Amino acid sequence: MFITIRNLTKSFKKGPNLITPLQNLSLEAPRGEFLALMGPSGSGKTTLLNLIAGIDSPTSGDLMIDDHDVARLSRAQLTKWRSRHVGYIFQLYHLVPILSAFENVELPLLLMPLSRSERRARADAALDLVGLSDRAQHRPPELSGGQEQRVAIARAIVHDPELLVADEPTGDLDGESARSILALLTSLSQDHGKTIVMVTHDPKAAAVANRVLHLEKGQLVNPPATPASAVS
Amino acid sequence: MKLLILALKNITRHRLRSLLTMAGVAAGMFLFTAVETTQHSLAKVTQASADDTTLIVYRENRFCPATSRLPEHYLPTIRRIEGVREVIPIQIAVNNCGASLDVITFRGVPAEDLRKYNPDLVVIAGSYENWIKRSDAALVGETFAQRRGLKIGDKFEAVGINVHVAGIIKSKESQDNNVAYVHLPFLQQASNIGLGTVTQFNVKVASSDLLDPIAKAIDETFRSDSQPTVTRPEKAFFAETAKQMIELIDFTRWLGLGAVAAVLGLVANAVLLIVRARVKETAILQTLGFSRLQIASLVSFEGILLGLLGGAIGVISAYLFFHWQSFTLGNEGLTLAITPSPTILLKGLLVALLLGLLASLYPAWRTSRQPVVQSLSQ
Repeated sequence: MFITIRNLTKSFKKGPNLITPLQNLSLEAPRGEFLALMGPSGSGKTTLLNLIAGIDSPTSGDLMIDDHDVARLSRAQLTKWRSRHVGYIFQLYHLVPILSAFENVELPLLLMPLSRSERRARADAALDLVGLSDRAQHRPPELSGGQEQRVAIARAIVHDPELLVADEPTGDLDGESARSILALLTSLSQDHGKTIVMVTHDPKAAAVANRVLHLEKGQLVNPPATPASAVS
Repeated sequence: MKLLILALKNITRHRLRSLLTMAGVAAGMFLFTAVETTQHSLAKVTQASADDTTLIVYRENRFCPATSRLPEHYLPTIRRIEGVREVIPIQIAVNNCGASLDVITFRGVPAEDLRKYNPDLVVIAGSYENWIKRSDAALVGETFAQRRGLKIGDKFEAVGINVHVAGIIKSKESQDNNVAYVHLPFLQQASNIGLGTVTQFNVKVASSDLLDPIAKAIDETFRSDSQPTVTRPEKAFFAETAKQMIELIDFTRWLGLGAVAAVLGLVANAVLLIVRARVKETAILQTLGFSRLQIASLVSFEGILLGLLGGAIGVISAYLFFHWQSFTLGNEGLTLAITPSPTILLKGLLVALLLGLLASLYPAWRTSRQPVVQSLSQ
């Protein structure tokens, strides 16, 4: 299995209260699977996504991703692991406004021992893959929402990570842009073998995934379902 | 290098804010450089070195040229003391004995002895011969001429003395660049001191280790005379005679420190504002895999760039200002030329860089430790 999660619990103190957004959650996902996480607000979707992405650490339980014991990595090790193995796609794109599309895509490559020409080649290829080669020198304010999300996806894949995590990637887009982003994510999973974990509130978005998981109060509430049954 | 370029782009994000910060830094560093230049110029004329071989013979218990009067006939007696290489009697006339920014100093010397006593004097305009020939002629120091806008053939009047500019001189001794040399008898008569009386004797000795014994010998020789002397090495003489000016310059040290503190606060405040406005963006970089050290370095580079760019403007402006303005401080007939120095220029740039780094350390540390998940949800 590419992702193996066993009895994963995340809790933290908020004032006098102990909050437990995830409790004893277990799941597995094979390499190349496109997984959708659904559930009401506060159900623990984003917490699970952050744990899988390695930007947060669990309180207890096991989290193995491609043989990396992510739950046991130190903060510094997690940072390094993220820079090589994870691409993160945000709902609001979160591009750096003063950098061009090309420079935004190039950002993760600055952390790698690559020459300038190698970085250029990789960033160009990523922008080409998302269909934005002609917008490389445009800055985020000069792009539409859909284009910005494509740049964000190019930034997420430019260092060729095995795992892509997406937090409501179509949540801020109109219908047509959302469809095109979902088609792009499907292609990354099917044609490029990326394992994708996507949080969404949108049943139509979830429908493109191979599998939909439903969370409530920090736990999976139904057995893994096919997209059609989850949406219905 | 990649982070440095990113930092440079970041500080251009809020151009007006960055420009205002740099303008503040430039003002602070201008003041710092001005103070350092003054201190450096003073150190040059008051700190003794192994090359010093000049003594000043002054009237005992006198500090102003207007009151130091010595008989010119001391000259052959001083010349006969063993170890003395050269002696020149000097009559000094100044417009102001107190500390002042605009001191005019005439030095009356025997025309035939000036070149022999001071072979390093270079006449850069006019001629030495013309000065010898004409009794009211003056050899004007380069800085003096520049400050007063004097050229060859000009006549000028100061301290009630009218002179004709016969030459403009340049010397490695800053004192020479700030005075006008005239004929001794002319100055004695024009300043109503009378022939046969001088302000001081400048004595050159064979080596610096002879300074103290010869000074003692001179003072001992005239101890019982009606005009006893006090003889000190030239730099010690400057340090003791121009005390008023030195105290004033010492005080400016506090202004320099104040300027440094202001720059530190300004850059720290600017960097804190920058990082506070970019909490989420920093979290994005952390999500992409930027380490704590890289985040801290990015913030520090922004502080360093603000400090260094603003500092460079201030330090270079101060350097050019003193280069073109030729400021001179005077006290008790002694003049201090405030001359810019490449050492101070480099020191100013280094201080600006260090201040930028120091000011950004806390914001950088704080930013690098912000929790990613909470920052993303802000």
